[in-house]
Amino acid sequence: MTAITAPLRRRRPTDDAATPPDLRLVEEPVVRHTLAYAVVMVLVLAAAVFGAVTLNALAAGASVEARGLEARVAVAEREYAALVAEVAALEDPARVRAAAEELGMVPPGPVRHLTLERNLPGDGAVPTTRTPDAPTDPLKPLLSVER
Amino acid sequence: MTRLRTRVGGGGSLHSGDELAIRRIRWTLAIFALLVLASTVKLVQIQVVDAADLAAVGERQRARTLELPASRGRIYDRDGDVLATSIQAATIYADPRAYRGTTTPEGREVPPAGEAAVVADTLAPLLEMEVDGVRERLEQDRHFVYLSRQVDHALGEEIAALDLPGIGVLTEPQRVYPAGTLAGQVVGFTDIDAQGLQGLEARYDHILAGQPGTLLLERAPGGLDIASGIRELEPPVVGTDVVLTLDRDIQHVAELVADQALETFEAVGASIVVSEVGTGDVLAMASAPGFDPNVRGDEDPADRRNRAVTDVFEPGSTQKALTIAAAVEEGVVEPTTTLEVDDAIRVGGSTFTDATRHATESWTVSQIMERSSNVGTIQIAEQLGPEQLDGYLRAFGYGQRTDLGFPGESGGLLMPHTQWWSTSLPTIAIGHGVAVSLLQLANSYATLANDGVSVPPRLVQGTVGEDGRLSPAAMGAARQVVSPGTAGAVRAMLEDAVHGEDGTGARAQVEGYRVAGKTGTARKPRTDGRGYSDEYVATFVGMAPADDPQVVVAVMVDEPYPFFGGLVAAPVFAEVMEAALLALRIPPDGSGTDLPTAVRLAAAHAERHAEEAVEAADDAAEVVETAQEEGEDGGDTDAAP
Repeated sequence: MTAITAPLRRRRPTDDAATPPDLRLVEEPVVRHTLAYAVVMVLVLAAAVFGAVTLNALAAGASVEARGLEARVAVAEREYAALVAEVAALEDPARVRAAAEELGMVPPGPVRHLTLERNLPGDGAVPTTRTPDAPTDPLKPLLSVER
Repeated sequence: MTRLRTRVGGGGSLHSGDELAIRRIRWTLAIFALLVLASTVKLVQIQVVDAADLAAVGERQRARTLELPASRGRIYDRDGDVLATSIQAATIYADPRAYRGTTTPEGREVPPAGEAAVVADTLAPLLEMEVDGVRERLEQDRHFVYLSRQVDHALGEEIAALDLPGIGVLTEPQRVYPAGTLAGQVVGFTDIDAQGLQGLEARYDHILAGQPGTLLLERAPGGLDIASGIRELEPPVVGTDVVLTLDRDIQHVAELVADQALETFEAVGASIVVSEVGTGDVLAMASAPGFDPNVRGDEDPADRRNRAVTDVFEPGSTQKALTIAAAVEEGVVEPTTTLEVDDAIRVGGSTFTDATRHATESWTVSQIMERSSNVGTIQIAEQLGPEQLDGYLRAFGYGQRTDLGFPGESGGLLMPHTQWWSTSLPTIAIGHGVAVSLLQLANSYATLANDGVSVPPRLVQGTVGEDGRLSPAAMGAARQVVSPGTAGAVRAMLEDAVHGEDGTGARAQVEGYRVAGKTGTARKPRTDGRGYSDEYVATFVGMAPADDPQVVVAVMVDEPYPFFGGLVAAPVFAEVMEAALLALRIPPDGSGTDLPTAVRLAAAHAERHAEEAVEAADDAAEVVETAQEEGEDGGDTDAAP
């Protein structure tokens, strides 16, 4: 008897337990919102640029203001120095003397001191030339360490 | 075929296309690696090897360092009144390149920014300069020329506002002396760059000058500051203020009186020193002729000298107080010791005489001082001996500079006694053959006034720091030269020399005070050192109140006419001493005046001045009337027909 036989197929040995399945269940890919991501990035970038520019502008403004203040301080210092010199020139004894003579004043006569024959109520009191709280001349240095 | 064969055959080998691709990739990688390597090398070179140099180059391109000048310290008198200070002035400069056509490196012609002639015409009247002078400077072949330095700041602003091409304005400090000639020789002056040149400005330049600061800025090419750039400020250290011991009011009177003495006695110079007893503080130091440190250039350089410390002279009879003090201290004589005094004495082959002839008299030491007897003083000095006299004079400060350290200060001249001639002892005993500065002389009398204790003189009371408070200067070490008893005895003799019946210093009296002092008249040595000339130096040194001296005043008038110290220097002393006693509010110790007498004297004084004022008013009215009449006449002449 002749029998038609199909060619033998060699089956690859299989190990069901070790071989992963040919097909597997995959999850539906997540749709990434790239547009939103780009917008956020642009906003962050814009905010950073804006912040940097703002800070720079503020710094520039402060710098301008500082220069203005320095100029004012310089002007004030210059005026103060000029005023100090002017006050000193006006207080010059020679100038005061000349001005007094121009006004018709004459030098005082010899100074005479009176010797009192009896004590007065004020005798014995400690004379003071200035009160402790009297303001000092702002144009003069404090010439006493006690002041 | 090859390709097919290669594809078909070959088994495990690659196709030729793959090899080519691989080869290309390898080349690409190699080139890329080379590029990366080159970049890395360059990066390392820039960031590591040359980093510092490149950073420096970049900083030089952007950064600009400005020097901030330190404000020079002020100089005050003892009451805090300003004698020297600094103000901000304007300096006008030009860049002459602006008036010349130039060519750029690329060969492009650049026309001049302006015309020198036009700019000179504009600036000359403002700067009070000749037009030609300004133009000459503008046409110099330089990059920078000063047109005028330290002009008024407002003028600088005015010129800056003109915006003239090539003209710039700088601000720089200018040293000014608001009181003009007051204490000019003592305070001294600086040069235009604020470097101390003379006087205390030079002596204390190291503390007055301060330290300049720096400001490091980053600037854009346009010159504007980069706000976020580098800004490193090292602030300048302001100069320290110096407070002198001078009293402005006393100094003024001393200078005024010295000038008057110069004029009255036709002298070539006069110096006055006023010292406070006990502290050594110099209250006034005047020299005439004076000079104004603000206006230099035309005056005689000799007028800049502080004669009181730089010039020396023979003290003459003012020396006798020291000779007698030494003798009293050594127990050789007492004030009451009597000597037989002739009007001449011969020592070492030379004859010394008194100023006036007299018979042989029995005078006490006090009377010798009162009459200023040369012969009597020489007799006392002979008992004392040269070694003792030399030692005491040096103890009083002769022959050495004081502790002032004033520029140009002289220590005087006193030869060691081992080199003295046979006539040196009598000569030096009466104030010849020895030279001192007026300050030395004043300080020797201050020692007598201070119960024999010598306190080094000082001109600086202290310094004022940034807190505005005074840091007192250290005081020199005091030395006991003679005992208080000796000093008191000599003071009593000196009082007799002023108030005594035969005193030579009667014109030195100050109303209300007892004054102790001594006149001196000495011939000036010839300039060639051979003998004496016919010119004299008149001196007077004294103290008041005599019982408890507070002030010492020394006066020297150079080549006066007449030349006697009692006639010339004594009245000068009286004026200055009176002013000093008043300024210091020192109560009188002399005879009192009762109220009716004082009122009568004051009324007489007022009446006299009132009469003078009426006369002056009448004269003025007459002048005005005359002028009006002349004016009316002139009006007729000028009137149109």
